[in-house]
Parts: sequence; C-alpha cells; structure tokens
Amino acid sequence: MKWFDTDTFREILDSILRNRSRSLLTGFGVFWGIFMLMLLIGGGQGLKQILMNEFDGFAQNTCIVFAGNTSKPYKGFKKGRSWNMNYDDVDRLKHLVPELETVTPSVSLWGKSVMRGETVSSSAVVKGHRADYARIETPQLRYGRYLNDADIAQERKVCVIGKKVYNELFPEGGDPCGERIKVDGTYYSVVGVDWHEGNGININGSASETVTIPISLARKAYNMGNTVHMICFTAKEGIVMNDITPRVREIIARAHYIHPEDEQAMFLLNTQLIFGIINNLFNGVNFLIWLIGLGTLLAGVIGVSNIMMVSVKERTTEIGIRRAIGATPRQILGQIIAESTVLTLVAGMGGIVFSVLILHGVELGMTTDGILKAPFQVPFGTAVLTASLLTVLGVVAGLMPASRAMQIKPVDAMRDE
Amino acid sequence: MALIELSDINKTYNNGQPLHVLKGIDLHIERGEFISIMGASGSGKSTLLNILGILDNYDTGTYMLDGKLIKNLSEKQAADYRNRLIGFIFQSFNLIGFKTAVENVELPLYYQGVPRKKRHELAMEYLDKMGLTPWAQHFPNEMSGGQKQRVAIARALITRPQIILADEPTGALDSKTSVEVMQLLKQLNKEDGITIIVVTHEGGVANETNKIIHIKDGLIGKIEENTKHEAWQGSAMK
Repeated sequence: MKWFDTDTFREILDSILRNRSRSLLTGFGVFWGIFMLMLLIGGGQGLKQILMNEFDGFAQNTCIVFAGNTSKPYKGFKKGRSWNMNYDDVDRLKHLVPELETVTPSVSLWGKSVMRGETVSSSAVVKGHRADYARIETPQLRYGRYLNDADIAQERKVCVIGKKVYNELFPEGGDPCGERIKVDGTYYSVVGVDWHEGNGININGSASETVTIPISLARKAYNMGNTVHMICFTAKEGIVMNDITPRVREIIARAHYIHPEDEQAMFLLNTQLIFGIINNLFNGVNFLIWLIGLGTLLAGVIGVSNIMMVSVKERTTEIGIRRAIGATPRQILGQIIAESTVLTLVAGMGGIVFSVLILHGVELGMTTDGILKAPFQVPFGTAVLTASLLTVLGVVAGLMPASRAMQIKPVDAMRDE
Repeated sequence: MALIELSDINKTYNNGQPLHVLKGIDLHIERGEFISIMGASGSGKSTLLNILGILDNYDTGTYMLDGKLIKNLSEKQAADYRNRLIGFIFQSFNLIGFKTAVENVELPLYYQGVPRKKRHELAMEYLDKMGLTPWAQHFPNEMSGGQKQRVAIARALITRPQIILADEPTGALDSKTSVEVMQLLKQLNKEDGITIIVVTHEGGVANETNKIIHIKDGLIGKIEENTKHEAWQGSAMK
C-alpha cells in the first residue's frame, strides 16, 4: 500500500463522513482548542498594538525633563523655589553628554483660542518647537510639511495644526496650507496638518489640539526670554536611557543651584522605562496565551485520542471483518492513524479559518476612515506553524488507538456478537 | 494432493483454566468438495473452522493448504492467504454497517490493491449473480437477512477463493431463506467447483452437503457420505 493514494484517502474519508456524529464530536475538541489559541494570539497582539498606539509616534528612547519647585534647600536657597530651564541647558546637554542623539527645547502656552476669520476654535495649546522635535514625536502629516530649520532661523510666522484644530477651523475639509489663522493677534500661515493623535503620552496636551510654531518666534511673540519649559532628548542607539539620566540631572542641577538629589525639582519622564514595562507585560500575556491555548489544544487532542480509543473498541467487529477478509495489521494501523490525522487536520483548519474570520470581523470593527487601528489577524507564519503542529498531534493522537486496533484479531469480530 | 490436509491438530486455550479443545484432528478435504462439520456447541467445530480459515493458530500438528504449510505465519502472510485463498461467510453476516452493499463486496479487492473502477465492476457483477443489482447502493440495515447473507456470499466470492468457509450461514435466517442460501451454496459448488465447508449444528443444513463430518469432544467422530439429499424445507419442517 502506498502512503498516499486517492483510494486509501476515500476509504478514510468514507469512514469519517459516514460516522458523522462521532467524527463531529471527536473533531470539536481540536476545533475549539485551535480556535481559542488563534483568537487569543490575535487578540493579544491587537491589544498590544492598541496600547502601543497610545504611544505612537514617540521615539522609544525618549526622555523629557521639566522643572518643578525645589523640595530641598541647597547652597543658601530655601526649598520651594521655582526655577526654569533655559537654552544653555540644551547646549550643556548636547556638549556634555555625547550619548545623546537629539536634544531639543520646547515651550508651550495653554488655553489659546485660534481663529480663522470668524471661526474660533476651542481651547488649544500653542507650542514652540524646533524642526528636530519631529525626531521625538513623529508627526503624521495629512497635508503640507512640518517646521523646518529655515522657519526657525528666520522666525517665520508659520504653523502646523493638529487634527482637532483643523477639523474645527476647516470644517469643509481640503488642504489648508497657505490659509491664515490668528492666535493672540498674530497671523500665522498654515504649512501642515499633523494627523497624529498621541492619545497616550500627551506632552503638554493632546497633539490634536496643538498649534506648533517655530520656537524662536514663540519666544519673541510671548516675551519668554531664555526660558524653556521642557527639554526632550533621545539617546543614541544601544544606549540605555537609565544609565545617562543621572548625569543629565546632575548637569542641569549644578547650573541652577539645585540639590542633585532633589527629584521633585526636576521631573524626568523616561519613555524607555514605560515601553519596557509594557513589553514585559505583554511578554507575560503572550506566555499565558500560549499556555492556555496549547493547553486547550492538548486537551482537544487527548479528546481525539480518547474518542478514537472508544471508537476502536466500538469498531472491533468492523476491524475484525477487515482483518478476516485480508487487511494486514499495518493497513489497520495506517487507517486509524490516517483517520485521526485527517480529523485533527480538518477540525484544526476549521478552527483556524473560523478564528481568522472572527479576527477579520474585529479588524473591520476597528477600522476608521479606512485606517486600521491595530492588526488583530494572526500572522500567516503562525497559522502554518499551528497547522503543522496539528498534523504531528493528529498522528500522535492516533498512535494509541491504532496500536490497540492492531491487537484486534479477526476472531474477535465473531466473538463480539 | 488434497486441498486441505490436517494431521494431528491440537489446540488448547489458556484462558485461566487450560482447555484442550482439539485433540488431534486428521482431515483431508479434496478440491470441489461440499462438506459440513457438525457438532454440539463446545465440540470444537468453530475452533476448527478458525484454524482452517487462518484466523487462529494451532499448537501442534500440521495444516497444509493448497500445498502450503500454514504454521506460524506472519500477520501479513496470514492476511494475504485469507484474502486470496479463503472466503468467509458468517452467521451474523458481518457486513460493515456504514458501507453500501457494493462497497462491502468490494472491500477484499481494496485490500488487494485493485483499482476502484475495476473492483466496482467486479462487485456489481457478483451482486448481479446474487440477484442483488437493485440493492447495490443500499446499506446493510436496509436489507433483509437473506439479502445480507447473499451480499456476504458475494463478498466471499469476489476474490475467487479456493475455499468458502461458512460458519452457521443460516443461523440468523428464517427457514425459507435458509433453504435459498443453501441452494445458492450448492449451486456454487456444483457449477463453479468451489470447495465449501459449512459449520452447523442443524441436521437439515448438513444434509444439503455431500459429506458430513461429525466432531465430538475435539475429535472427529464419523464421516458420513451423504448422497441422498432428502428434500429439505428448512429447519421448521424438520
């Protein structure tokens, strides 16, 4: 007997299809196991992506520093003193900490209303940035461009507006570039629309409610002198942020006569830490998913083995007859294993297909404006891996019942009456 | 040379208490004979039939079938001999319930590796011989006992075996169909020259055969040549 020919296959298929309820019951365990595994994998991945989306656009090795009131007296200063960082701090960091990639200052002004003609927006934040801020928080430009170095150097009256501001000021839609908007009596021409929402990490308010203008301009327009509200920096590749933050703290503290251990005077927000926590969390979740999924699958396979065992017992007569009319034990063995494999495979594939469908439905539900929020679909490779795992499990499940079937002597068929 | 030569066959079952079932059977059966083996239950007739059909092993002695020594065969060889040399008919028909009549008949050829189309043709031919063409696509539970037994006979015949072994072939049938089945076997013996061995405890059935072997307590009692063939109307008329 060849390993595969259509004849053998039809024999197997016949015995599966004509004992439908038995086959259904047998297959269901595996179907459910695979279904759960796939659904969990897809769901876990999607959830992770959703959570990651909250931090979307943020460089993963970013750190943000801002000033608070001192909480320790130092060098003759009382505690509770308020202070501000300035442009010199930016230069100091840039020169004294070579591990840093980008160091960029930021100023922000809250509660501004933006006007375009008679249209007034709800409260917005005006932020002064340099062009290299894009490396900290990547803009998703729907229209136009981001600020560039020339805008900063020449203090051009240009701005990039956020999604919400755009929607309020330009309800008719379309490209707003070149249009003028007014904030606090100054007109700016729009050069870009940033569609990025940044709903997880909001530095100084949501990105969608932001009007970004060149920092050099903001400084003059609002008389801020040398003051900087925030300094954002990223570390070079391969540098662990935690290793350099103490030095950053020290450098800034020394210049402003702040106690080097005064944590409240200087807040350091380290995204690498946050990403690390999330990654750890999802590694744990993934581990659980595989544990539960594989456990369910294993239970299903044991179910197949068990029911095949019962069915072999039940089919003693049939197998005895087959043996009496000339089937070799090997052929019986082959048939039972093949039945188990086909059952497991078909049920498993059914499970994969069903879960893929459900996940597709979830994806459809998560799509807005034709943009998918998070991919829930199981990767193709995982599906293929699971399918091959199924084949192996099917054979394994068939082994025990098959070896028992092999023990059946043709005489048993007649005795079993 | 005889088709079947048994000499001094002994068989003991060792299920708890050893049970010496066959105590030295010597038997020669020629090609084309139509024989019945009779005996009370427990006399060892079924065991003898199982040994003849290579379904069971024996302890000592020799069994030559068609010139081949049948002893300590591998399962594979035994299966091959059963498939090619022997056709079985059982009391309870032993058809596979989820296969149609024609598929049941095809099954021995499947294990011979005959292509599907050819074995289907052949099976239809044999069903036709049994007058069952209209029932070919029916499942066993849709057929009467006599029809089922005829399907079983077709299945036994399809490999063109040397011997047909029938274990109480009429045991589950009413008298009318019993007669029909025995007539069929008789006809097969006469027209196709197939050697047929029937195990039965019914005198009427045995009476249809040409030679009756009485078996008692694991030994062959007497061998009765039977040429009279009194008209038999089935067990009910006995």
